[in-house]
Amino acid sequence: MSDVEIARSQDVYCPARGFYDELFDGDGTARPHAAALAAALAALGPEQLAAAGRRRDTIFVEQGITFDTAGDDGPTLERPFPLDLVPRILPATEWTHIKRGVAQRIRALNRFVDDVYHAREIVRAGIVPWRLVVSRSHFARAAHGIRPPGGVYCHVAGCDLVRDYDGSWKVLEDNVRVPSGISYVLENRVAMTRLVPGLFTDYHVRPVDHYPQLLLAALRAVAPAAEGEATVVVWTPGPLNSAYFEHAFLARQMGVELVEASDLVVRDDVVYMRTTHGLQRVHAVYRRLDDDFIDPLEFRPDSALGVPGLMRAYRAGTVALANAVGTGVADDKAIYHWVPEMIRFYLGEEPLLENVKTYLMSDPEAMEAALRRMDELVFKPTGESGGKGVFIGPATDPIELAGLADVIRRSPEKWIAQELVSLSTVPTADEHGNLAPRHVDLRPFAVYGETISIVPGGLSRVALIEGSMIVNSSRGGGSKDTWVLENGEDHSDSAVPTRPESLPPTLPDLRYGAWTGQVQQQQQ
Amino acid sequence: MLARIAQELFWLGRNLARAESMSRLLEGVYLADLQGRPEDPSATRLSWDSLTHIMGGRLNGEGRPRSDEVLDALTFDTSDPASVVACVARAREGATTVRDVISTEMWEAINTTYLRMRDGDLSRPVLSGPVALYQHVKERSALFWGLTSRTMLRDEASAFLYAGGRIEAGDMVLRMLRVALPTGRGSGPDDGHAIALLQAVGGLQAYRRAVPAPAHAGPVARFLLFERNYPDSVAAAVDAVNGALRTADARPRNSEPILRLSRLSADLEFRRSAEGDADLGVTCREVQRELGLVDGDIAQRYFGGARAA
Repeated sequence: MSDVEIARSQDVYCPARGFYDELFDGDGTARPHAAALAAALAALGPEQLAAAGRRRDTIFVEQGITFDTAGDDGPTLERPFPLDLVPRILPATEWTHIKRGVAQRIRALNRFVDDVYHAREIVRAGIVPWRLVVSRSHFARAAHGIRPPGGVYCHVAGCDLVRDYDGSWKVLEDNVRVPSGISYVLENRVAMTRLVPGLFTDYHVRPVDHYPQLLLAALRAVAPAAEGEATVVVWTPGPLNSAYFEHAFLARQMGVELVEASDLVVRDDVVYMRTTHGLQRVHAVYRRLDDDFIDPLEFRPDSALGVPGLMRAYRAGTVALANAVGTGVADDKAIYHWVPEMIRFYLGEEPLLENVKTYLMSDPEAMEAALRRMDELVFKPTGESGGKGVFIGPATDPIELAGLADVIRRSPEKWIAQELVSLSTVPTADEHGNLAPRHVDLRPFAVYGETISIVPGGLSRVALIEGSMIVNSSRGGGSKDTWVLENGEDHSDSAVPTRPESLPPTLPDLRYGAWTGQVQQQQQ
Repeated sequence: MLARIAQELFWLGRNLARAESMSRLLEGVYLADLQGRPEDPSATRLSWDSLTHIMGGRLNGEGRPRSDEVLDALTFDTSDPASVVACVARAREGATTVRDVISTEMWEAINTTYLRMRDGDLSRPVLSGPVALYQHVKERSALFWGLTSRTMLRDEASAFLYAGGRIEAGDMVLRMLRVALPTGRGSGPDDGHAIALLQAVGGLQAYRRAVPAPAHAGPVARFLLFERNYPDSVAAAVDAVNGALRTADARPRNSEPILRLSRLSADLEFRRSAEGDADLGVTCREVQRELGLVDGDIAQRYFGGARAA
């Protein structure tokens, strides 16, 4: 078959040695689920792909789907969000495994947050040291003893997953504060269906556009209000925030107000927003800013972004905050180390997704061992997110590493070390439309309302520079549309549904203007 | 004004509105078809199959039509009177006849829409599929109606043009509703088709702002039928046609179509307050029949003069 020959030919695409490529196996043959895609890409050819890429940039700039990058010499540039037009495909069975694993992890993290601010059973059981918990920068004393409706803390969560050289999935990080990126998942899909609809032909891809509905339903479910009467708002720090596009996107998609701090006011422990009809009660707030800034009376007194009295209302139970206050303690990188233990302790299950091997620098032996092989490991500050302050041993200058060692010795509890993961690769188009392997990670998004729902796929971030494993968009990373395929082998069958048993109603014929007929009538 | 001209204007409005509705519908089905809708086990409703039903079941009888055949026929086929291209061509023909009545800018808007489509740089682009054409028709249609409200005298002529556009819009929404959301026989709670339908008509955000309920089949059908504040709802279309005819008619109290429209409008309001979604299918059918009768009444009262003479 000619399709297979095209997919095999080495000059189209050559996977990098030593890494797991998700579309092609070691000798350059397309994996079964990717064969149709490889053929479609070959049929398109580099010119068409490059042309589609240029149209994508135009459309993204017109629609305002951009992000700001700081240029090397000063002024910030507005760039179109870099979407790679080659999708990443996850077969149904693989996705089921990921979905279960992520849901399991989030259930455990949620129990952990509840435990930390209440009974502290996991500390009493001698599993997680209390000293470690209270020293985390996102541990919130103000949240002690507050149990939000349904006992749900991590309403919105995302886990960063990577795929090692053997194809196994591992969790790199948990995000249970304000994970961002879901808007790009939805926009990417819309853009893909418009730019390269031909690639979808042989696949049945599970849609992602119900995410805003899931989120809204979850927020309504936890709001302290009668059924159908909850007022939900999205709270943004303001248009200058780097994720403002996403805040506006979610508010628009959910049909709720996008508020800033000055729109909210607390009266007698109840949260209101200022409207043209006076104050209106707010029941649930999807907040897109960190604990530290939400209430100057309880957290940072210098926060101009906060609403004074919000924590009192929260404590009184008149408003639901998503995510709950204090969840940051669970996505601290030192706590990450204990998540598999949490899963066993709280759920009595074995973890479905492994951690990357991690060493706590607060353990002196582990620290010394890690500092001896600094050029092989990755070092991360525990309280940061978004790739800030991360040192990748093999890629870092030895003098810098020596400086880092001093920093770690001074405050070991603020650092962890991890084994280097060989991120898997997916073919990625360059500006001329040629395909080359680039490293990717995956961030699935979960919504925890009455149950946990996970949108099929998630955000696949891709490092656009050859050999680079840094996928953050602020540092030259792009993204890919992530396709989760429907169950069942025979796609052609599911693509053509059987005719519903009761036929749709027969409608009247279309009418057309019939003046000419009348003219003829007249002539007769 | 001349009955013939009034009829041409009425049908100019209808053809343009139909071209736009068809484009929206086809784009909606095309994009929805690229992705699976696993939430809905009872088979796809907003599909190529149902498209043929929406158009009055023309392709029936010869088994299941292939999706690309339907797409081609309803989009590019100039010999198929229901296709988008044919609708635009008819609109342009009609505009030629009433060129002295409509403003120059409106005429140019229609003419360039047609010419750009005919010259083919929009037809069948290899990569993006037919979406570019749908986008074109949607944009040009918005341009035309915008120019109408800016440059055309609000007289009898514009009233007939407007009445034609709105009656067609109402009819198309009813067609889509009846086929895509056959309510009353247990539609699933996660009905992806309700969202796809709202997206197709361009009303998803309006829905989310207006209705607190999630986009299930029942509430969506009620929204598209009854919500007067949404400009593309059936109720809004009925009111708009009614209002347009009132300005055109010298004796509206004796006008059969106006009386019928007023009754229909009141009836919609009455049905809106009724609880339950079970009767929505019946409502759709009856409203569509009434709209058909209104169409006949309009032809009888306003365009029949020429025939009688």
